[in-house]
Amino acid sequence: MRAIDRHAWTNRWRDWHPAEKLLPAFGLLLMALLLPPLTTAPLIVVVAGSALVWGAGVPARALLVFVAPPAAFLLLGAPFLALSLDLSAGPTLRFSPGGVALALSSTLRALAALSCLALVALTTPVADWASLLRRAGVPAGIIELLLLMYRLVFSFAERALTGQRAQAARLGYSRFGRGLRSFGLLAGNLFQRGLTKARALEIGLTARGYRGELPVLRAARPLCRSRLATAMLGVGLTGLAGGWLGRALS
Amino acid sequence: MHIAEGFLPPLHAAIWSALAAPFVVAGARRVNRLLRDQPQLQLLLAASGAFAFLLSALKLPSITGSSSHATGVGLGAMLFGPSVMALLGAIVLCFQALLLAHGGLTTLGANVFALAVVGPWVAFAILRGARRLHAPFAAAVFVAALSGNLATYLTTAGQLALAFPDPASGVMGSFLKFAAVFAPTQLPLAAVEGLLTVSIVNFLREYSGDELRALEVLPASRAAEAG
Repeated sequence: MRAIDRHAWTNRWRDWHPAEKLLPAFGLLLMALLLPPLTTAPLIVVVAGSALVWGAGVPARALLVFVAPPAAFLLLGAPFLALSLDLSAGPTLRFSPGGVALALSSTLRALAALSCLALVALTTPVADWASLLRRAGVPAGIIELLLLMYRLVFSFAERALTGQRAQAARLGYSRFGRGLRSFGLLAGNLFQRGLTKARALEIGLTARGYRGELPVLRAARPLCRSRLATAMLGVGLTGLAGGWLGRALS
Repeated sequence: MHIAEGFLPPLHAAIWSALAAPFVVAGARRVNRLLRDQPQLQLLLAASGAFAFLLSALKLPSITGSSSHATGVGLGAMLFGPSVMALLGAIVLCFQALLLAHGGLTTLGANVFALAVVGPWVAFAILRGARRLHAPFAAAVFVAALSGNLATYLTTAGQLALAFPDPASGVMGSFLKFAAVFAPTQLPLAAVEGLLTVSIVNFLREYSGDELRALEVLPASRAAEAG
């Protein structure tokens, strides 16, 4: 979690306007969903991956670490899509050709979409979504709640990991029942501390004139139209190439 | 149990998003109103949301050895009530997609529907029902959290079955297939989550009565405290 957030804050595109990163990424995501996956999906994986590694300067390793767990889950699940369950003559399982094609296309589509998600998550910190959400008409109170939650997650995470490590060092997870009790204690403690911390923050902030919004200085990041146009052109070309490949191969 | 990014066909992703949206909007309206009347709740809600996210990110003690995570569906419903939970759950699911690569943006609607709408409402209804039947508090919490988790899992299996009907036996066969595939991990997980929720709620009742009472958004826990 911290690695993903660190890359989002430190990549080469950090100072770009969020729309310059999110619009092309969503464009790719939309194409991953709508265009035939067999030809388009591998192209999208390559385009999103190279944009991340060569464009944004995110290490390839970070991309792999991001994609690996969900991809492993997808690949493990794919055979189950290929299996067909026949209930007519007692429950029997068999491979169906239609199922194999479905498994292949769904897995490819999901892998392409996953690389688009990596493009979003590894280049744009969650805090940058605020301006877009504001423009989309989300109430200010909700956006502030989201931003506060984002800040608190990291301050609580440290405590949670330390707590779990301390419990493990005292054999708190040596047996299943004990582990359960330890986890309950940890979670209860975290919640209680979280509420106490929230109350302390609330008193401190109210004393400083807090009115439901933490104003912070943000560097001005004007939208660079030429960069956005180039990126969208790249997205369009990827779609065209995918469509052309599809026709050429069919 | 999250559906991975891009796994659902576009039409299904859109339909589930449309079905989940009214619940999230209603939750957002409720929270917005609460925050207007009681601005001090903002930090409390943010802390609770951050806690829910962390709870789902921590590894659970597991029987099978596979790594599993709590959903916090039952606990959330008991603490905040299901309508607030729809908004908090949606935010937590966004964070999970963007910070942990669990779930995704296109499958957000389907995941919100299963984890932040169906699960919490089932858990909430069962807790209410069990309390009305004068079930012991711990048993009511256990059954509510367990059923919230199971409802989430069955909803997800149903969503996958509708998206990928079996060529031979249709949606029903596909549902059985997905439910069976996830059962070995999800059934023990539901029981573990039930026990865990009892343990957390017991701890909170013992040590955090004041904080719980401070949360005006806690209908279930208030009822539980009274009961």
